[in-house]
Parts: sequence; structure tokens; C-alpha cells
Amino acid sequence: MSEFLRILEYEVQIVALAFMGTVYILRLIWMFRFKAGKEITDPVGNPRVGIAYSMMNVAMPWAMESARKNWNFYAQFVIFHVGVVAAISATFIIPFWPGVFEIKALVRIFQLALGAAFAVGIIRLIRRITSPTMRLISTPDDYFSLVLMSSFFASGVFAVPNEYEVSEWPLIIFFIMTTFFLLYVPFSKISHYLYYPFTRYFLGKTMGHRGVFPRKRGGERPAGLEG
Amino acid sequence: MNEKSINISDVINLPLDTKEQKKAVDSKTPCVVDGRLKVYNPDEDNVKRLLELLKNKLSRQVVGSMVGCVHCGMCSDACHYALVRPYDPTMTPAYKADQIRHIFKRHFDWTGRLVPWWVHAGTPKDDEDLKRLKNIVFGTCTGCRRCTLNCPMGVDTAILVRLTRGLLTELGIVPEGVFVVSKDSWETGNQMGVTQEDYLETIQWMEEETQAELDDPHFKIPMDKEDCDFMYTINPREVKYDPRSIGNAGKIFYCAGESWTMPSWGWDQTNFGLFSGDDKLGGYIAKNLYEAAKRLRAKRIVISECGHGYRSTRWEGYNWAKYKQDLPSESVVVTLIRYINQGRIKVDPSRNPLPVTYHDSCNIARSGDLTEEPRWILKRVCADFREMYPNRSDNFCCTGGGGALSMVEYKPLRMEVARIKAEQLTATGAKIVCTSCHNCVDGLTDVIKHYKLDIKVAQILDLVADALIIPKKNEKK
Ligand code: SF4
Ligand code: SF4
Repeated sequence: MSEFLRILEYEVQIVALAFMGTVYILRLIWMFRFKAGKEITDPVGNPRVGIAYSMMNVAMPWAMESARKNWNFYAQFVIFHVGVVAAISATFIIPFWPGVFEIKALVRIFQLALGAAFAVGIIRLIRRITSPTMRLISTPDDYFSLVLMSSFFASGVFAVPNEYEVSEWPLIIFFIMTTFFLLYVPFSKISHYLYYPFTRYFLGKTMGHRGVFPRKRGGERPAGLEG
Repeated sequence: MNEKSINISDVINLPLDTKEQKKAVDSKTPCVVDGRLKVYNPDEDNVKRLLELLKNKLSRQVVGSMVGCVHCGMCSDACHYALVRPYDPTMTPAYKADQIRHIFKRHFDWTGRLVPWWVHAGTPKDDEDLKRLKNIVFGTCTGCRRCTLNCPMGVDTAILVRLTRGLLTELGIVPEGVFVVSKDSWETGNQMGVTQEDYLETIQWMEEETQAELDDPHFKIPMDKEDCDFMYTINPREVKYDPRSIGNAGKIFYCAGESWTMPSWGWDQTNFGLFSGDDKLGGYIAKNLYEAAKRLRAKRIVISECGHGYRSTRWEGYNWAKYKQDLPSESVVVTLIRYINQGRIKVDPSRNPLPVTYHDSCNIARSGDLTEEPRWILKRVCADFREMYPNRSDNFCCTGGGGALSMVEYKPLRMEVARIKAEQLTATGAKIVCTSCHNCVDGLTDVIKHYKLDIKVAQILDLVADALIIPKKNEKK
């Protein structure tokens, strides 16, 4: 492995990661500086149950009409985010636990996940460009983030075999992208995973308090409706 | 049910009408003179004011919804405006919320401050931009929260729309109807400007009617009686257009042997502050009611059938008024369940033989907690109850939500969007659509008239009153 690649995989990543962590901490401080609303009514439901339900919402496609009616879109969401997990894991596995990618079956699984996520990324990009609704609400950051993620997945497909002795280029490209990714993400909409717990927590707390979450479907009866 | 589509730029570019504001200024209306209700001042730097107001209104919840949107577009399938007008991208909830999100990003968010064009951050140029913003947030959203519950990120678009309405209300950049109803609320303590005299006379009239119906001259609608089991609060629409519902409630309470009262002041359970986004007005109206219950030492507050009234009185009002809840409050629907469960009233479903369906009010089903309770009653008081699909917290708005009924200028768009409700109603084959909301009664009536449907609108209380078996005099304890 060349010195350049080694520095890229270790020192550069650690610095970029530290930068991202610092920006995220500042971001969280920024969020917490806004006052939190307080609910001063008697509860009907349980806010904690509402929060748990709300947080888990993403894993319950049957709970939201938008997911129920768009199974295809939900499947894309799952594939895309499995790809995200695979790509991020690869950035740690390659430098710190390279032995993992000596298991060829695992490499294939990662490549499959990343390849599928890349395909979804392209489908989403096409949707964003061709649908007038998506075009209207999309910002340059939305397009760029999608291109960035899709390229990251694609570069991951070639990087995960970790065969630097054959060619270092796939790894160099993957880790340059990782570095850029770590620096850019805190300022882009890709940071939504940082906000997800916030929005979901507050919505779940209010809706749980009021007994709206967990959402009732036909046939469920709240206590008191006996007979 | 096809009809000509509205040109959206006709809606977005509707001018600001200030005739009513001028009238209020000329006649020195107290709430305008003392600044509780703002009028539009073209000489002021309204954009600057809006930014200052926005800064003060930012809570953690609001900021979460400002920064959390990933522009995935999933919410467009949830909104009745977007579903009826799929060719019109401006109907997408995310687009509506983006109107305030762009401003937030430009002034409060890092990326938006540094590279605004990258995230479409921006500041309104002038009052014309603010007037367009008014038309978007008042004219193209009923605050139904359907998009909120369908957003994978948990972004509360309806809350952002309400926040924006509140900012514009502080600048007097509001539809005429919103100004008039807000003025009436401040001036008379109720949103329909019902005078004290009219209120008391109507109650008296209903008392006499119910006495005749029950053949009992001792029947009373007790006013300002202390130490009762509950204080009953109503929607001013009941006084103005549907007094029969007050009589029906009295009749049922009488049969149940209830100890109840109505206040002579603080009786309006509705709250226009919810629609205008004005928390001050919301707190004022709600506090009037909470104080009335305290004054009368009532053991609980019972709220007549109204979606936004229930949401405001049971939930939001305490927060707006910063008033720690000191009494239990419930919808009259829950009170009716108690009566039926305890055998305090007897009902005969064969007296309501026509097929009945139920329309869930947005404010009750998505921002409140009542979805099963109305159905529990309807299955006992109607011979043929049918579900409407989708239902419960997935139901579509009657299109009269968010104060839309008071904004006549947006009615053509509202009626176009109502197609979805009309199709939902028709599919049930019901002859009666029951709802637990006076506002929905008017919203649904508009839909039924416009689409010429053979359906009547009723409320749960009406159907219970129709099914009520009135005990013979000597049977009553
Ligand atoms: S569904 Fe939620 S995250 Fe997606 S565009 Fe709509 S508001 Fe934004
Ligand atoms: S709150 Fe209702 S009307 Fe408003 S944008 Fe969301 S779905 Fe549409």
C-alpha cells in the first residue's frame, strides 16, 4: 500500500471525522438553544409510547399511507439506506478490520448492496429531474447530495474487494469521496439523520400525549368502550 | 365529477383587501386601537418585522421541521390539494412549507446564510411577496395535518403553515374573513360576534322548546349554576344557525339526570386563534372558558361537537394561555358513551334507519384522540353504519378546515379540491354523513351542494337525540 493511500485511509479520515463530529456537536448545541415547547395538559395517551412509535415509524411501512400506497418507493428507501450503511461500514472496515473483506462472500454482499443503492440513486435522480413536483421543491443541494451519494455507492462497489496490490485507484477514489463526504455532509441535507430523532421525538411526544400515536386502525378500542 | 381547473396564479396573486381593516380603524374598534389586532401598514418595513417575529417564534419543534425536510415528495400523495391537482406542483405540502423554510434558511441556518442559492434560501423582496405568501398559506392549505402524518421524517408542515399565518396576522396581511372573525373574537369573546343578549335569548328559546317536547315545564338549561358536574360549552354556530343542537344536548342531559350548567361568559369552545396562527387570541378565548369553569366550580368541562373547538379547548388552548390544566375536559361524545354504558339513557337504533357513514374531523382524529368513540356510539344509535375509506387519522379533510369557510376568495379552489371528499362520500352509498364537528357540517354541506350529492349531514348528538327513548314521566327518577 502506498504512503498516500495509507494517509488517506487513516489520518485524513480521522481528521475529517473529527471535523464532522465537531460540526455536529455545534449543530446540536444550536438546535438545543431554541426553546422546547411544553405540554401542560392532562395526557390521554403515553408520550413515551408515542415517541417510540414515532421513532419506529420508518420501520413500519404499514403505519403510513404514503408508504402503504408506494411499496416501490419504500423498497427504494430501504435499499438506498442499506447502501448507506454498507458504504459507511466499508470506510471503517477497510482501514481497521481489513480481514473482514478477505471473506469473498461478504465482499459480494457489500457489492450487491452498494450496486443496488447506486441503481436506486439513479432512479431517484431521474425522478427528481423529470417530475415537475420534484423539480419545483428541489434545490441544488438536493441534486448534488443525490449525485454524491450515488457516486459514493458506485466507488464503494470497486473499493470493497480492497485489492490495493492490484490497483490502488478504486480505494483512492473511494477514500477521497469519503473525505469530501465527511466535510460536506454537515452542511447538506444528508444530515437529515441528525434531525430525524428531533422531528420524530417531538411529533411522537405530542401525538403520544394526545393518544393519536400509536395510530388506531379499524377494530381497536380504547379503554372505556367496553360493551 | 370533472370540472374546470382553477388557474393557480389567480389564487396566488389575489390582492390584499383591507376594507374591513379600514372600517375597524375608522370606527375605533377597541382591539384595533389597543393593538391586540394588527392592521396592515404599507409604510412599515413589513419584511423586517416578519423576520423579527419569526425569530421570536422559533421553538425546537419548529426548527426541527424547518431543517428536517429532505424534499422526498412523499407528502404530495397525502394532500387533497395535490391529489386533485396532480399537474400543479405548487400544491405539494413541501412547496407550501418551503415558502417559510426559505426565509428561515436565509436568516438562521448556516448553509442558507453562507450560500443561499445552494439551498434556495431567500428573503421576501417586498410586501407583494408577503401578500403572495398570504395566499399560499391561507388559500392552499386547510391545516389538516394529513401530510404531517405521512412524512417519513416527521416534518410538521401544518405547524409551519400555521406559524406563517401567525406572522402575517401580526402584520395585518390576512384575508378579510380572517380579520373580521379575529375582530369579532376579540370584541365579543366568540368568533361569530354573537351578542350576550342573543346568546341568552337563544338558550331561553331552546329551553322552552325542549320543555314542550319533554312535556315537562321543569326542564331547565341551567345558566351560571355553581358546583355542577360539568360546564357545557358550545360553538357559536349553534346559537346562530343550529340552536336545535343545544336543545338536543339539554334533552339528553335531562334524560341522563345530569347536573350541568352553561356559562353566560366564556362559553365559546371554538377558537379562531388556531386558524389565524394568533396564539394571543387563542390564549384569550381559551382562558375565558377555563376561568368560567373555575368561577362556577364545575367538576369538568364538556365540549360540544366541534373539531377545532375540541382541539383548541382540550389541547392547544392551555398551551397558548399558559394555563395549567386544572379540570378534566372532554368531548360530549365521551359523555354520551358514559350515559349509554351506565344505562343512564336508552337508545333505539331503528329510529335512525337510513345508512349512515362517519367523517372523521381532522382536528379530532389527527390532532386529537377520538376515532373509535364516535363509531362506538353510531353503531348503537343507527341501524346501518358504514365506514368511509380512508378513515380515522387517514381521512380527508372536509375542505372547510383551517378557517377556510371564512375565506370566500379561495372557495373556488376549495370546491375543486373537494372532489376527493365528494368521491369518498359517494362511495359509501350512505344517505347521512355524520360528523362530530360543526365546522365540518358546513364544509360537507358545501361539498354536497357543489357536487349535487344525495346525502344529508348530521352530528352524533342529533342522531343520539333521534334514537333517544324518552322515559315516561313516572319512569324518570
Ligand atoms: S414527506 Fe416530509 S421530508 Fe418528504 S418532502 Fe414532504 S415534508 Fe419533506
Ligand atoms: S396540512 Fe393538509 S392541506 Fe395543508 S399541505 Fe398538509 S395535507 Fe395539504
